[in-house]
Amino acid sequence: MDFKPIQILYALWSFSIILNIGLVLQGIVRKIGARVGRRYGIRFYQPYIDIVKNYSLRSSITHGVMFYLGPVFRLTGGMGVYFFTPIIYGSVYFGNFSFAGDIVLVLYFIFFGSLGMALGAGEGGHPYSAIGVGRGLAQVTAAEIPLVMAIIGVAMHYESLSVTEIVAAQQGGIMNWTLMTNPLITILGLIAFLGAMMRSPFDVVLAPQEIPIGPPTEYHSSFLGVMQTNRSVFPMAKTVLFVNIFFGGATNWAAMILKIFLLYMWPVVVGVVFPRFRVDQSIRWWYKYALPLGVVAILVTQYF
Amino acid sequence: MLIITVLGIILVVLGLWGMLTQKNIIKIIIGFSIMDTGTHLLIVSIGYIKDRTAPIMDKAVGNASQVIDPVPSALVLTAIVIGLAVTALMLTYAIKLFEIRKSLDINDFKELKW
Amino acid sequence: MVNPIYIFIIALGVGFLLSLFEKAGKILTMTVFYSALAIMTFISGQWLIALIRGTEIMTLTTAGFPPPFSINLRMGLEEAFFTFFINSLGILAGIFLAPKFRSEKVYGMVLYLMMFMGMNGLVMTRDMFNLFVFMEITSVATVSLIAIDRNLKSVSAGFKYVIASGLASTFFLLGTIFLYRFTGLLNIEMMAEALNYASGQAVFLSVFILLISIIIELKPFPANGWALDVYEAADCGVVSVIAAGVSAAMLYVFIKISALLNQNLMITAAGIGTVTFLFSNLLALKQDNARRLLGYSSIGQIGLIYSAFSFFRLAGFTPGDQTVLLVVGGLFVNHFFAKAGLFWLAGIVKKDKSDEWAGLRSSPLLLFAFAVFILALAGLPPFPGFFAKWQLVMVLSAKGMFPAIGFILLGSFLEAIYLFRWLGKVLKTDPFEPIKIKPWEAFPVAVYLLAIILTGGFLSGIINQGSSLSVLYLPVLFVIVLFMLDFLPVLVKNSLVIVVFSYYTFRIMPQLSGYRIMFGIIFLLGGILLFIPGYIKKGRRLGFYPLAVMMYVGLAGLLLSENTLQFFTSWELMTLGSYFLIIRGKKSEPHALSYMLFSMGGAFVMLLGFGVLYHVNGHLLELATLARIPDMTGIIYSLLTLGFLTKMASIGLHIWLPGAHGEAETDVSPMVSAILLKAGMFGMVVLMSAIPAVKIGFIDIPYVLGWLGAITIFLGNLLAIYQEDAKRLLAYSSVGNLGYVLFGLALMSHLGWLTSITYALNHFLFKAMLFLAIGGVVYRVGTKNMYEMGGLIKNMPISFISVLIGIIALSGVPPLSGFAGKWLTYNAILQKGWYLQGAVVIIGGLIAFLYCFRLIYAVFLGQIKDRNRQVKEAPLALLIPQVILMIAIMVFSVLPGAVLRPVGKFLENIFPAGGLNWQAGTAFTEYGYWNGYWIMMVTGGMFMMVLIWLLFIDRKAQKVKQFNIVYAAERPFRPETTHVGYNFFAHYRKALGSLSRPYVTKFWDTLTDITHSSADFIRKLYNGNGQTYIFHILLFVVVVYFISFGG
Repeated sequence: MDFKPIQILYALWSFSIILNIGLVLQGIVRKIGARVGRRYGIRFYQPYIDIVKNYSLRSSITHGVMFYLGPVFRLTGGMGVYFFTPIIYGSVYFGNFSFAGDIVLVLYFIFFGSLGMALGAGEGGHPYSAIGVGRGLAQVTAAEIPLVMAIIGVAMHYESLSVTEIVAAQQGGIMNWTLMTNPLITILGLIAFLGAMMRSPFDVVLAPQEIPIGPPTEYHSSFLGVMQTNRSVFPMAKTVLFVNIFFGGATNWAAMILKIFLLYMWPVVVGVVFPRFRVDQSIRWWYKYALPLGVVAILVTQYF
Repeated sequence: MLIITVLGIILVVLGLWGMLTQKNIIKIIIGFSIMDTGTHLLIVSIGYIKDRTAPIMDKAVGNASQVIDPVPSALVLTAIVIGLAVTALMLTYAIKLFEIRKSLDINDFKELKW
Repeated sequence: MVNPIYIFIIALGVGFLLSLFEKAGKILTMTVFYSALAIMTFISGQWLIALIRGTEIMTLTTAGFPPPFSINLRMGLEEAFFTFFINSLGILAGIFLAPKFRSEKVYGMVLYLMMFMGMNGLVMTRDMFNLFVFMEITSVATVSLIAIDRNLKSVSAGFKYVIASGLASTFFLLGTIFLYRFTGLLNIEMMAEALNYASGQAVFLSVFILLISIIIELKPFPANGWALDVYEAADCGVVSVIAAGVSAAMLYVFIKISALLNQNLMITAAGIGTVTFLFSNLLALKQDNARRLLGYSSIGQIGLIYSAFSFFRLAGFTPGDQTVLLVVGGLFVNHFFAKAGLFWLAGIVKKDKSDEWAGLRSSPLLLFAFAVFILALAGLPPFPGFFAKWQLVMVLSAKGMFPAIGFILLGSFLEAIYLFRWLGKVLKTDPFEPIKIKPWEAFPVAVYLLAIILTGGFLSGIINQGSSLSVLYLPVLFVIVLFMLDFLPVLVKNSLVIVVFSYYTFRIMPQLSGYRIMFGIIFLLGGILLFIPGYIKKGRRLGFYPLAVMMYVGLAGLLLSENTLQFFTSWELMTLGSYFLIIRGKKSEPHALSYMLFSMGGAFVMLLGFGVLYHVNGHLLELATLARIPDMTGIIYSLLTLGFLTKMASIGLHIWLPGAHGEAETDVSPMVSAILLKAGMFGMVVLMSAIPAVKIGFIDIPYVLGWLGAITIFLGNLLAIYQEDAKRLLAYSSVGNLGYVLFGLALMSHLGWLTSITYALNHFLFKAMLFLAIGGVVYRVGTKNMYEMGGLIKNMPISFISVLIGIIALSGVPPLSGFAGKWLTYNAILQKGWYLQGAVVIIGGLIAFLYCFRLIYAVFLGQIKDRNRQVKEAPLALLIPQVILMIAIMVFSVLPGAVLRPVGKFLENIFPAGGLNWQAGTAFTEYGYWNGYWIMMVTGGMFMMVLIWLLFIDRKAQKVKQFNIVYAAERPFRPETTHVGYNFFAHYRKALGSLSRPYVTKFWDTLTDITHSSADFIRKLYNGNGQTYIFHILLFVVVVYFISFGG
């Protein structure tokens, strides 16, 4: 696993692919959401317009160094999750920088961006930022319960923490996917995926943004651009991770894009059907339902 | 001499009974004194050997085998003296207590407790 | 050599002549009086020295006849020892009482001389009836002196006393005379030989009556109300003589007549002593009168001493055995000096209530003396009681008398409760009235202060024969030097400590090997580093340096200890030092108490564990024998573990920690948190590396510990998120972090231990840094409540950076070193197969994000308050160590292998398989891989890229003012309401409901309440009525008779 400088270029290339997938998917999903709500909705390329617009705005303010660094942390976090995950199985170059660490690294790198963003928003001094972060962190710790247990389950199942090895074990047809070999863990993973994607019913965290103030107002123009970039990459990175560990990964971009698209639809469908939880309700939900399921899944994996 | 032993025991018990039941400090002291006397009687009775005389060596008593064991008798003398001193001390206390509180009821001196 | 008979001649002669001297004036009278006491002391002292050097024992007989035809007195080593102590007390208490003697008629002095004559007689005579005479002389003189003040309290107490002692001596007389009846002898030794228990019940009964009379004189529970009253009411000088001197004489009488006792009666005596010790200490818990408290304590201590003696006799020791001398002598000396000293202090302070003694703080000498006496009574090193108690427990253990040890330790623990509560009150109550110190009152205290320290050193010398505790002697000497240099300013002392400590570390480190090196780095290098913040203090900071150094001496001692005694001594030294560090905080008093009580409780459990070890391993002290325990492994393991866990603050035993660490001073918090907590871990490592597998029944203890660790992580972190106080938040976070350490160790695998050590090292680095940074903020802002802070990033940027790095390392987010711990945790749990525990561990770890964010946000971000606008960056002395720690974290993050590889190499000695496999900078396990260097590089690269991109497109960003936010259509000019800081995670509390309730605290509170209310209930027994006390005595006699007859 030697590092070659050329990998940086490949990484950037794969980054631009995923960014575009993210932007397109974002547009499509919003369109779906609108149609389910009997509205016409935006055009699917609207996210492109937004991001270009935001990056072009020249008026901007800052509340301080940490405020300025917040989006940087955020995007670094999103990119990191992506870069530390191997994308295309068998491809050295689209393995990104996964040689630096295994799935545990990815799992913890998720927090890098959240933490930095939380700090940046915190320096903005807006009370809604703090409220949002407080809710977000609280919910994340609860939503991570099934995620952690699913990862442990997968690692038990494959006796490995290396994403590459997990994907390798799933090659050779759908019957080898975790989905088939260990459905209980996969269900757990899918539930965890709901929590990770910040969509309804677990999106109260984003509520302060809907009251159209708070971080998005404070973070406008190019800050918002950076955050939007992240919002396109970060969910994709997580989806890639889930595709890798539960759905056999992919040996080429087409398969990967297809799987991303399908998996991404899962929280979207759930999201348009179910209303939003209050934060204390959602924490309780994770402890009450996801935790026992996780225990069962782990015990089943351990003893059967 | 058994009767003295029994008497001694009765006095000790009586004295203790007095100490436990009487509320008047003077009477408690008297109880103590009775108990003390009972003890002395017991001591004397233990030294007694049947058909022998007091351990006073004079012409009437030829040799040591005719006298009772002299040690308890000697001890009892000391014990009586000491008992006297203790009783005197107790009485002094009784006077002091009465001077301070004008009462001799032992129930009246319960400031110090727990 | 002066014939000891002169002691009596002088006492009697001078006693009678004093009235004559009175005509010649007070000065002459008093001169003669003190000279008499001095000569008595000289005679016994001279004999003591001579007998130690091997002179023959002297036997005095009356009228030249040998016993049984005469009364004989003996001057042997024991007699010389007791009379010397008693007579020296005579002089010192006499000096203390000087004003009284001056103002009273000469009879006071006469009685005083008679009292001491009586005591000397009690010690020296070997004749039963003579004993009675001296007993009465002593008691008449004592009782007369009790009423020297002639006030109601002392007179009524004296009356109760005279009645009780009258009863006791009547019993003694009866017992003596019956024994004479059966043996025809009065000489004790001869009587003992002639005694034949087989000849009938009557013999037993007579010895019983004799024994019980002596025991009543020794004030057994519950027949001791009369004595308590005297301790409370009489003049302190007189009480000191009763508590120390008369008790000593009676104790020796007990030792003498113990020759007569058979097995049953010996058990009776031991039982009564133990029960007395236990119950006196229990009842003392509710006592708020200082002198009555001391009374309870005296009675308890005396009970302990004669029960110890009886236990030794039961265990087959002869009375003259060196061990017996050491233990009984050690306990006695300890009690003697401390109790006399404390009663004198009571006389100096002149306050009834024990919590009004803070006036002692106006005199450093007296305060020091008070603390030393209290610590000595509590049985802490380096005072004699510690070594005696250690030896006692070891000897009893060797004989398998564990229930007795249990009672003794329980009693000692109860004793520690009220002693430390008192000490805390004295140290912390404000304001206090200064006391007036008169030289003749302070002098005796100072003498016994010196005496108790010297005997402590002396005893430690004897008990450590053959083993090299010398590693501790020099540092302890340095502690003493520091006490003497305490008048110097902080600047000088701090520098001195750093220099000496560095030199010491430089000497010690090469002696360490294996895991001790890592602990050496934390304890010693960390210690030096954490002395740097001390420069922020001004003035003299009295008492800080000696005690801080004492803590480190204890820690260093742990590292160097090779046997259980060294280990335990070091452990207690460390506890002692840290107690005094913790209690320095403004509101630390209750927390320091609970710290001390948990520590003492833990230490006693540990002591019991070492005792059991001593029992099974063939009476060896070497720590190495832990590795080859033939039997009772589970019990030893559990006891020691329990002891260590109190220091590691595992859940259930953690309630002392938040207060103790949270309320401590700025530079103390990091010491006790980052360094001291690792002492518990060190203990666990010592234990677990010696005993790899242990089960009680079918319960696998490490498995239980694993769950305990996991729950500790979860609950510790959960409790941390609810704290408003920044330092308490960090303290609770330590609870959680030490849970990881415990969990890792409990895994009992290479990776598990590597995890544990990584966590320990990380915790040391980031917690020291966080406590320093937050300490600096608190130092500048003047509050610990986070919601009163906010927006300090601009005022304190360096502190902000260190908190930022600290929380990233703490929460385990890559690329910093905390991630190493998380990654290792995953691999270790997979390897071990502890999936569910592992899930709890990891989920618990995620909760850390909540408090991490809250800490940095509520303090440094958000809205700054008006009153904090002028706040400056923390002092340089606080920043320097933070920067050093920051660098250390960075190095560890980038090059984790530099640390983990050597540790792994060492761990291969314990767990050969399952370690990390290193290829260049990447660590592999059978599951995953991780490369700290590349993570840092990739993260840094991405970060720089995004930053440059943002700087490029957003180069004209304008800095705006604080309130320039969009908030309800206007600018919020009230930072207090705009800063969301208070009760930040209320929703989490709501969601988790009962999980967040403080059950553990409630449990301990209830236990405390039950103990106190039962103490309160039982002590109602002492209703103050003299007659009831007579009844108690009689009932006691009857009940004990039936028990001992039956038993």
